[in-house]
Amino acid sequence: MRINTWFISSFLISIVVVIPILTVFSSFFEDTSNYFEILRETFFLEYIFNSLFLLFGVLILTFFLGVGSAYIVSFYEFPGANFFKWALILSFAVPPYIYAYSLFAFFENYGTAFTILKFLFGDGNYNQHIPKFSGMLGLILSVSFSLYAYVYILARSSFLYQSQNLIELGKNLGFSKFKCFYSIILPAARPAIIAGLSLVAMETLAEFGAVDFFSVNTLTTGIYNAWIAFDDLAFANRISFFLLLFIFILFLTENLSRKKAKYHLDSKGGFKKKEKNKLGGSKAFFAFSFCFALFFLSFLFPLSQMLYWTIKFPENLFDLNIIDLLINTLYLVSLSSLVLIIFALISNYGNRVSKKKILNVMSTLSISGYAIPGVILAIAFITFVAWFDENIIKALGFLSIKKVFIGSVLGLVIVYFIRFYSLAFNGIKSGYEKMNISVDESAYLLGYSKTKTFLNIHVPYLRNSLLFVIILVSLEIVRELPITLILRPFNFETFATTAYISASEDLLEAAAVPSLCLIIIASFFILLTSKYILREGNE
Amino acid sequence: MSNFFEIKNTTFRISDSDKVRNVSFSIEQEGDIVCLLGPSGIGKTTILRSIAGLEKISEGQITLKGKTLSSKDTHIDPEHRKIALSFQENSLFPHYTVEKNINLSARDNDRGNININEIIKILNLENILNHYPHQISAGEAQRASLARSLNSNPDLLLLDEPLSNVDQSFKEEIQVKLKQILKKLKITTIIVTHDSYEAFYLGDKCGVILDKELKQFDDPYNVYHFPNSEKVVKFLNRGVLIPAKVTSPKSLENDDLGVITGNFVNPVPIGTNVKLLLQPEDLQHDDKSNLKFDVIDKKFRGTSFIYTLKTNTNNLLPVFVHSHHVHQHDINDKFGIRKPIHIEHIVCF
Repeated sequence: MRINTWFISSFLISIVVVIPILTVFSSFFEDTSNYFEILRETFFLEYIFNSLFLLFGVLILTFFLGVGSAYIVSFYEFPGANFFKWALILSFAVPPYIYAYSLFAFFENYGTAFTILKFLFGDGNYNQHIPKFSGMLGLILSVSFSLYAYVYILARSSFLYQSQNLIELGKNLGFSKFKCFYSIILPAARPAIIAGLSLVAMETLAEFGAVDFFSVNTLTTGIYNAWIAFDDLAFANRISFFLLLFIFILFLTENLSRKKAKYHLDSKGGFKKKEKNKLGGSKAFFAFSFCFALFFLSFLFPLSQMLYWTIKFPENLFDLNIIDLLINTLYLVSLSSLVLIIFALISNYGNRVSKKKILNVMSTLSISGYAIPGVILAIAFITFVAWFDENIIKALGFLSIKKVFIGSVLGLVIVYFIRFYSLAFNGIKSGYEKMNISVDESAYLLGYSKTKTFLNIHVPYLRNSLLFVIILVSLEIVRELPITLILRPFNFETFATTAYISASEDLLEAAAVPSLCLIIIASFFILLTSKYILREGNE
Repeated sequence: MSNFFEIKNTTFRISDSDKVRNVSFSIEQEGDIVCLLGPSGIGKTTILRSIAGLEKISEGQITLKGKTLSSKDTHIDPEHRKIALSFQENSLFPHYTVEKNINLSARDNDRGNININEIIKILNLENILNHYPHQISAGEAQRASLARSLNSNPDLLLLDEPLSNVDQSFKEEIQVKLKQILKKLKITTIIVTHDSYEAFYLGDKCGVILDKELKQFDDPYNVYHFPNSEKVVKFLNRGVLIPAKVTSPKSLENDDLGVITGNFVNPVPIGTNVKLLLQPEDLQHDDKSNLKFDVIDKKFRGTSFIYTLKTNTNNLLPVFVHSHHVHQHDINDKFGIRKPIHIEHIVCF
């Protein structure tokens, strides 16, 4: 029997990514410490309640912000519409924890808001009139303004590709604009909106930096505490499992509620560019104000806050070794993206050519890594390495491998790989889905081997998808906090960890410079990808 | 001497439950063209894919130039077969221009006597060479794919419905040119089509696949005139089967038409009740004849009319009449049939 190297490579890659998921499951067969008992009698219900409250708060807010802005820029023409089309995705550059620092700092006693009021109106007791955005409210706002772009991008793309005929049919039936939106446009975009909200939900439940900053106890905090304070990895994994289960049930319920409804028609006519309605007068003003307010609050506000502090406390700029941080950040980004791209590409091609069901199942399982919070992944990785080292390596008489994987760049890259594999895999997969299998077959018939087909036909074809995935993954790694924090080598800092450490030491002003650098780099990546994210037409 | 190409007792798997069984046919000489005819979904494409090596076979043997390509235990990968397959749907590489698509082959140093510029010209592709596949029509894509297949100088060329997307007005011209190229370059070809006229024109041999088996494999003339089963007759839709009784070694009798003379393709014992194949050109129009039937349908086919007549025993008879024929009939008119009726080749079942 011939050995199918593509199948084996693809299978092995999936195995690596599936390990943390299996580790999370395996926690049910292990003993836990008495932390669970303590937690159950004290804060466990509060953790669950807070997680749910945060989740639903963020889902509702991101739904309104994301769908509302996507609708306005997709269907209407007004001053600035073309600018907002891409400007609204810049909020991705601001991770929730940096938004949290800005929000808190602006409204705190004697904060930026106070300074502005004092500058404008002179001395006064403004603190008692300035609202305070701390705790759960601050957290919901920070996470929502940072993540609404997921819903915006997917809803917008769904609105753009909606059948013009369907909308014209609505008009023909005499529907009002609102009824058209409510009865035709919104239901047709439902799968895309749900997909966006599911990403928001996963990111929200996985959020660590902002949750920690506002001291809101959620299940993620519980996981972190179980590990840090009680060294109880099994229990940490068990909570993670419930988190995953919860996300799964939420979206399964939504899926079942659709029954057999289909949300798009298979159209052979291709993309028909929709005519946008031109707004004038107060309507144009409202559309502009809504988009500008959203752009301001989600991007300009945190950017200006960080910029303000950087200018106000320039010594922080010089205290920080920006070049080192930049090199570290870019080193991680380039190494991880390269590894992700290569392996996701091999895995996708293996799936395509071997057509084995087991690979399909493994791939589906492996891409669920994105649903696992970074904290869990990092902990699961440490658990696995410790177990492997203790039970296999040492048993075989070899030297410990812990140091090779824990507190090293290698370990960091491996866990990034597991966390963002889904992004890379799906990004490439969506490129592959556009390529008919007869393209491969034609190549074989022209004398190309599988490897040659891969290198000479597929890689050039997927060039744009690969570029998009590289930038997307880079963006995620630049923003990533918990994995880097837990697994980074000693004295190895990135912009994200430096900002977090300064903030956790109550030195918010010092967090401004790394935060600002992070926003600038992330914005740069976003601007590079915007061409792909926002593409219109039959490209 | 062994055949150039041969399929022996091979079963082709369309799906887990669906198979084309026990197919055998051969191409004796290099440069011959074989057409496989059959309705959609019968497994014609599967046969081509299996010959190309894109599907494996579980039974039988496929050989080319004396070398076994596929059998129960052997499977040579498609890239090592030197067989080109031109797909029915657009299979051009979407990120390359038509020109690059046509010139893309891993067998660059094995172009033989192929003159690609001539092929491009014959297939009318000069004006779209710099276009990308999404910028051209389905028919153009099909022709470009054909050019690419030809350019790879294959030992065996497989064409899956090669002209299905080509405009009707252009189809005949391309058929002529295609045949010229294939014959000139001596490229052995298997063409799959559901168009019997295309198959009869292009093929040196024709195979008819029905009911998951190869029902007939013969010269186009024989397939047309001497179909070997009622199913082939029905598929080709070239005539009707009417009841008759064999009355002598050279005649039979039908209740409506009376005595019919001719030469039996296969001898039938006298006195046997048979189903006689009656094709539109077997009966001739004659207004003066006493044998008259009602016209119930009339089809205009450009150069001819095909009248459908209803007999006294409710049989329906097709009759072919040249469209320049002076006396035209309308529905419900009486239509005369010349007697005596003589059929050159009597086919009955």
